[in-house]
Amino acid sequence: MTSPATQVVLPRVPSLGGLYGRGLVASARLGVTGGARSAARALPDVTYVVDDVRAQADHLTAYQHLLHEAATDALPAGYVHVLAFPVAMALMVRPDFPLPLLGMVHVANRVEQHRALTLGDRLAVRAWAQDLRPHRAGTQVDLVTEVASGGDLAWRGVSTYLAKGVRLPDARDEARDDAARQAFTPPVRTGRWELPADVGRRYAAVSGDRNPIHLSPLTARALGFPRAIAHGMYTASRALADVGAARGDAFTWSVEFAAPVLLPATPDVRVAPADDGHEFAVWHPRTGRLHLTGKVTPHP
Amino acid sequence: MAARTPSTSPSTAPSTPPDAPRRAYVLGGNRIPFARAGGTYAQASNQDMLTAALDGLVARFGLQGESIGEVAAGAVLKHSRDFNLTREAVLGSALAATTPAYDVQQACATGLETVVSLSNKIRLGQLESAIAGGVDTTSDAPIAVSDRLRRVLLDLSHAKTPQQRLQAIARLRPKDLAPATPRTSEPRTHLSMGEHQALTTAQWHITREAQDEVALRSHQRLATAYDAGFFDDLVTPYRGLTRDANLRADTSLEKLAKLRPTFGLGLDAPATMTAGNSTPLTDGASTVLLGSAEWAAAHDLTPLAAVVDAEAGAVDFVHGVDGLLMAPVFAVPRLLARHGLSLADLDYVEIHEAFASTVLTTLAAWESEDFGRERLGLDGAFGTVETDRLNVHGSSLAAGHPFAATGGRIVATIAKELHARRAAQVAAGNDAPVRALVSICAAGGLGLTALLEAA
Repeated sequence: MTSPATQVVLPRVPSLGGLYGRGLVASARLGVTGGARSAARALPDVTYVVDDVRAQADHLTAYQHLLHEAATDALPAGYVHVLAFPVAMALMVRPDFPLPLLGMVHVANRVEQHRALTLGDRLAVRAWAQDLRPHRAGTQVDLVTEVASGGDLAWRGVSTYLAKGVRLPDARDEARDDAARQAFTPPVRTGRWELPADVGRRYAAVSGDRNPIHLSPLTARALGFPRAIAHGMYTASRALADVGAARGDAFTWSVEFAAPVLLPATPDVRVAPADDGHEFAVWHPRTGRLHLTGKVTPHP
Repeated sequence: MAARTPSTSPSTAPSTPPDAPRRAYVLGGNRIPFARAGGTYAQASNQDMLTAALDGLVARFGLQGESIGEVAAGAVLKHSRDFNLTREAVLGSALAATTPAYDVQQACATGLETVVSLSNKIRLGQLESAIAGGVDTTSDAPIAVSDRLRRVLLDLSHAKTPQQRLQAIARLRPKDLAPATPRTSEPRTHLSMGEHQALTTAQWHITREAQDEVALRSHQRLATAYDAGFFDDLVTPYRGLTRDANLRADTSLEKLAKLRPTFGLGLDAPATMTAGNSTPLTDGASTVLLGSAEWAAAHDLTPLAAVVDAEAGAVDFVHGVDGLLMAPVFAVPRLLARHGLSLADLDYVEIHEAFASTVLTTLAAWESEDFGRERLGLDGAFGTVETDRLNVHGSSLAAGHPFAATGGRIVATIAKELHARRAAQVAAGNDAPVRALVSICAAGGLGLTALLEAA
């Protein structure tokens, strides 16, 4: 799918804090006018563009330390997401975005990195929303973010969000279902993560994603979680870091999120070579409940 | 000093490569008895214990005031203020103050690595004599401040204005004051060494009974060696301790069988690793005297064994490809192949007992046809090691394992045994070489192995 032809050039990457404020208002508006939680059919037909985004060395170092990445001058693929995704978020708080920002669940993420971006590169970010579609639990949408440098596409991320309980106007009951969730049997762990209670706050500080569900038990409880939950992209990026240098500079990094990681947590982890790359899984050590699975496949 | 050739006229004389390196010999060793953590040496520092072990060696070999070629030692749990630990121990010892020293750190392989690197220097002619060593204390372990407090303190020291200082201090939170204690878990997997070995134990189907037998044999053999006076010229009492405090001469399979498993509790396979068949945290220090044949003769010392060769290895345990402590399984075949030897050619095999199951998984891998073919690139199984030549005087399960001190303990012990065996053989008219393999696994998926030959 190609990006909408209508481009809106933003002067800079918007702050996620401000976006959450606007998202709250927009969510409330959708809640009122949406009646029985049904969504409009159309996504904003616009591509947001920010032309000159640059990584800052101290910010990169803080990210690499928090995510257990080697502190090289190459930008980890998850760090590019941190830099670029607010541009996509800006779309999600537009008055004409059909789904409420708050309560949307990040269910999957897929990044194609064609080459490593480096500290000092001038990054051009484009973002749009596509493929609004029914899901058995609500409505899904893809947020696409592309990052180019020197005119060439270097990084492309597709973040899939689910608005639970929100139905498209003409979605039939037998809305397209995901493949039945396969029962998860924990494999042999290769390690575990020690995630302290404040890891949500620490990733929020680095990523700017201060969604209240990640910040404290109190703010998370207000939104229906018993405790703060880890950012999905934090866990996915930790798994990418665990794969290490074997991923190379060009790879596909895909992840599907299952049960959220309630903080603090010490989930069991398996990151191991698979046929054509590395596979990873993260699960609760006692209950065996799956938190996320994914794959990192180097490009040939 | 040789006159330099002016750089404008290049020297026509080619630099002659040295002849095949001469041999480097183990001349003896000395250690202090190993204590259990929080026990007899609870108040002793790494420097205290290393100095005690050094002074015992100096006394044993009459090296007072002697300038030794170089001393290398290390500690795994080392405080940053101990950056020159070995040199400070030398300065506090009876050795001449003109004895150079350097620190080494390769996790549990530290002690063996000091033996290997110093032997290489002797073989190259850089040194005539050397002392290898290692020390560790888990009782007096360094404690660090939290990363956030450290960051604030560093920023505070860099601050130039009162306002910058205030800004730095304002970042402090009460929980930042909690100390960060040293950990034995792997930094990349956050699993303890025991939890890692539990995965390997399950993978190779090692039974509880087999592990307890290894532990029992270790205690019995170490006790027998002490009773026979074998350690009289290898161990110097310290702080009232005359034998390794962990040694249980009266343990039995029944007693070992009563202990509850401590590692591998969450696995599908039954948990088999207990405090009895795992090494305890230990305090202690060891040293090994090394020298050339000429230096030994000049000092009227008898070479015990030559340090023939060494091979390090490493495995990718981070991605579960191999067990954390399995690197020696790969290093030993390479080491022996270089000398045209097989396991059958070894008179002694010393495999550091990090856990009883480390010994058993190592042997199982070497006995496996599939593993030999698929992972070691051999025609079949690498070979077997019978128990009568394995850890003949007991090992870490009985003696304890002060991480960096274990290499020196093993090398000095087996060098003495090699020399005695060779002397007995020669007396009986048999001039065949007598060889020992030393294999030590280490954190980080490391392993270091060495080949010794009786002198």
